[in-house]
Amino acid sequence: MAEFIMVIIGGVQFGAIYALAAIGVVVIHKATRTVNFAHGGLVMLGAFVTYLVVVELRWPYWTAYVLAPLLIGTLAMALELVILRPIRRADMFTVIMATIFLGIALSETFRLAQNTEMLAVPSAVKGPPMIVPLGEDAFIVTAEQIWVTIGALLTGFAGLALFRYAGIGRSMRAMASNIRGAQLCGFSIDRVYALAWFFGGALAGLAGVFAAPSKGVSPELAVSVISAAFVAAVIGGFDSLIGAIIGGLLLGVVETLSAAYVSSAMKSAVSFLLLFVVLLWRPDGLFPERKGRDV
Amino acid sequence: MTSHHPVTRRSIGLALATLAGLGLLPRGAEANSQGVSKDEIVIGALGALTGATAFIGAPGRDGIQLAVDGINAQGGINGRKLRLVFEHAFTPAESVAAAKKLVESDKVFVLILASGSTGAAAAADYVRETGVPTYNLYGSTPIIRKPFAKNVFHSVVPPAEISGGKMVDMIFEAKPDAKRVGVLAGTYAFPQATKAGLLAALEKKKDVKVVVEEFDQGARDFTSQLLSFARQRVEAVLVSGSFSEAGFAIKQAPEKGVTNMTWVLDGSAVNDAIIPIIGPENTKGVYGYFNVPYFPAQLDPPIVKYNELWKAKYGAPPQGRPNVYDIAGYSSTFVLAAALKKAGTDLSWAGLISAWETVKDAKPSDFGGPDVAFPESFSPTDHQGNTRLGKAAIKDGIWQVIAK
Repeated sequence: MAEFIMVIIGGVQFGAIYALAAIGVVVIHKATRTVNFAHGGLVMLGAFVTYLVVVELRWPYWTAYVLAPLLIGTLAMALELVILRPIRRADMFTVIMATIFLGIALSETFRLAQNTEMLAVPSAVKGPPMIVPLGEDAFIVTAEQIWVTIGALLTGFAGLALFRYAGIGRSMRAMASNIRGAQLCGFSIDRVYALAWFFGGALAGLAGVFAAPSKGVSPELAVSVISAAFVAAVIGGFDSLIGAIIGGLLLGVVETLSAAYVSSAMKSAVSFLLLFVVLLWRPDGLFPERKGRDV
Repeated sequence: MTSHHPVTRRSIGLALATLAGLGLLPRGAEANSQGVSKDEIVIGALGALTGATAFIGAPGRDGIQLAVDGINAQGGINGRKLRLVFEHAFTPAESVAAAKKLVESDKVFVLILASGSTGAAAAADYVRETGVPTYNLYGSTPIIRKPFAKNVFHSVVPPAEISGGKMVDMIFEAKPDAKRVGVLAGTYAFPQATKAGLLAALEKKKDVKVVVEEFDQGARDFTSQLLSFARQRVEAVLVSGSFSEAGFAIKQAPEKGVTNMTWVLDGSAVNDAIIPIIGPENTKGVYGYFNVPYFPAQLDPPIVKYNELWKAKYGAPPQGRPNVYDIAGYSSTFVLAAALKKAGTDLSWAGLISAWETVKDAKPSDFGGPDVAFPESFSPTDHQGNTRLGKAAIKDGIWQVIAK
């Protein structure tokens, strides 16, 4: 039982990071109808900012939690302005290809610039592992697991609240619901799109800060995060923020359980199997956006 | 009365011709002097500059270039300057292609394998076939070592049976009564070579149960492997993989119920970049071996001098650099320089190979560089330059060689 609990805790920790990354994907898609395949690259850059701040500059860890979302959000906004805005009226295929190659460009630029296998980032919280008695047995939980799980989930729920209740969230939801209608109500497409990319990029930056100590900073982080974030988002319904959170947690737990009781090598295969099962059972995901209207 | 038969160039030529006739010399080794001009010797090297093994190839390139600069600044070798041509090669196919390009297109005189075991294993057949004098810097794989090739020399990284034996010794020095030992090895070339050496050494230990677990290159999640060790109550683990793989395995161990463990890492994982991963407070019980006598962060004069040279050329080092592959690339190039110098001005592959086999205690200070590696020696039947290893542990937040 203790072993099972430790496996679940590990899965929830990874799942919380996946959830945070998935929310960023969903926010951008919900507001701009753009599927951002460069999101993994933004997460990687968020982790890299953490490395620069904590390891190179030796600033306090909290500065990474402030700077990474600001910098990566601004970068995402700039990418929207420079690369995606000119092709906004192009067909969906063109936009998707642009984000795919944007993601590759971010990863490869990092790879060429760093020339290293991986940059290591220390944990934000330190301390000996906590031993929690469980009958005659005991399970172990570390301060980092608690911090990452709670921190990432709280950030995710804060993002969800911002999107649902704040003014900027209202503009994004209006744009997602009906672009023409939103424009007639006075919302600017350019402004809302820029805000959505900033918001999504900031969430990616924060996901990078949380992911850096447990996954390291490398181009492979971009690939692993983007695939997990997409699986989580699709499981959740792709346009549902709460769905992205639950999809991320579910994916993290299923991956870790499969690593523990099947094989580490089967982890990715099991996560895609989960995706197929969910889509066969509920093609619109677990939390599909309501299409009907109350009359 | 003893009759003396002076060794003349003619007699050497006759001997080489006989050997060639018997098939003991590689094809083309007799008189090939490609890559050698009046004032230059071109040396080629290959290794990964990007990808999972860039922590080997990129430092290899930088270490070799730093030594080349130092040797050229001292006037070169017998009046000729060295010039390095480096080719990126990550996969086995890229390694073979890079070796072919360097030898056949760039016409290098000597080939340096700065790629680790994967590239060395891939290029092994090609270098044997062509006979190009080859210096294997980092490959511990037996594929490049067996069968013995007259034109292939090995540097600071010893064969896996030596490093594996050393790692097993460290386990039992730390835990003399250990009865259950885990082996955690990557599925790619060099960890597999080390794993074979580890298992061979562990076989000699009576009443020791060995639990073997493997992981893919670049793994970040060690749940299944650590749970297996926890279930089988393993007391010590030998890790063969990169610093990131070893680091995340050690970091995740308490989260999976693996506590009070002794960890012994192979040389590739013994890198200062592992310390932020596992946390400086969790380094007790973590040991490893190092292929050279000093870590970059130590304050012994040779390594301080080396760090000064490195920073003067490359600037502020990124995390984990310079590492053992920087140092080995640097010192090995001086060993190659010693062999080239011994081969004289009339350079040919056969002449270099013969001279290389007589090199004894070659070290950087022979050409004015700091001695940051163990001296290397060779003989006609033993092409392994170094077999010494330092025992390393993390002290005061950095890796240090604690016994040479």
